[in-house]
Amino acid sequence: MITTLLFILFAGMAIGCAIAMVSQSNPLYSAISLIGVFIALASLYVMLAAPFIAAVQVIVYAGAIMVLVIFVIMLLNVEHVEPRRKRLKWLVPVAVAMAAVLIAETAFILYSVQTSQANLRASGSEVGLTYSIGVNLFTTYLLPFEITSILLLMAIVGAMSLARRATILSPVARVVPGSQVLAMDLVNPGSTSDLPAVEADTTAEVRRLMGVDMPSDVQKDD
Amino acid sequence: MEPQLSWYLALSAILFTIGTVGVIIKRNVIAMFMCIELMLNAVNLTFIAFSSFFQDVTGQLFVFIVMTVAAAEAAVGLGIIITIFRNRESLDVDDASILKL
Repeated sequence: MITTLLFILFAGMAIGCAIAMVSQSNPLYSAISLIGVFIALASLYVMLAAPFIAAVQVIVYAGAIMVLVIFVIMLLNVEHVEPRRKRLKWLVPVAVAMAAVLIAETAFILYSVQTSQANLRASGSEVGLTYSIGVNLFTTYLLPFEITSILLLMAIVGAMSLARRATILSPVARVVPGSQVLAMDLVNPGSTSDLPAVEADTTAEVRRLMGVDMPSDVQKDD
Repeated sequence: MEPQLSWYLALSAILFTIGTVGVIIKRNVIAMFMCIELMLNAVNLTFIAFSSFFQDVTGQLFVFIVMTVAAAEAAVGLGIIITIFRNRESLDVDDASILKL
């Protein structure tokens, strides 16, 4: 009885926060509603005897990913959404109608099939404990674990190279520090040399090597 | 009456549908990204419900991997959003239509 009440409470919180997230126009309110969904889902995971995943959900999703999203929202200083353009007006009712059809189909399927014989055995269950997850992660599922670590390394390298700033060296040349080989011909179009390449680690070094004087009002960050 | 497996699956389907509606409706690219995260979480709930009802730890391990992939995708996706915003000064998805025929 109590588990049913708790399920209804957390499920209602999850669905309510999800609908609030979709219907808000301010992205910051949407982010906070999504954090509410994550907390409700973590509570449901505890009810399903998965305490480790519940803790990881709060730490990783609500604690790291949503903080990153809120950083980006505040960094880009997003304003409210402008009024919808004319050609998109029919999208919202059609999307909601199709969602209602999908939910009706799901309800029909769920209530017309036999209930499975599997019962929830939350008490005394040893499946969700940290020990069993750890043992399986390092014996049976070692390969996905190692591939995931390489994936995280790729994400770090990708995010760093995306966030790098390119500076303008002259009206016809740009320098991306550490990653670009700059031809002398780009800076001095009248040179007759055979495109010697200039390789450097910082913009200041390239500027010094090429002898380019940078007026301070031309330099801008992009 | 205990919460049945079908209840958890129905909740996951509803959350997934709400996330899909959000991806279709929203014009702000960060809001679309958050709706994608909601869809990922709905699938996580399905995995953990099955793992609990059939006493198999594979579902929870897969959820672990999915969370890791979602974190990596969040980092790179937000980096792409920042780069697009720098060049374009607009977070409206409808403005990013250069590749349209």
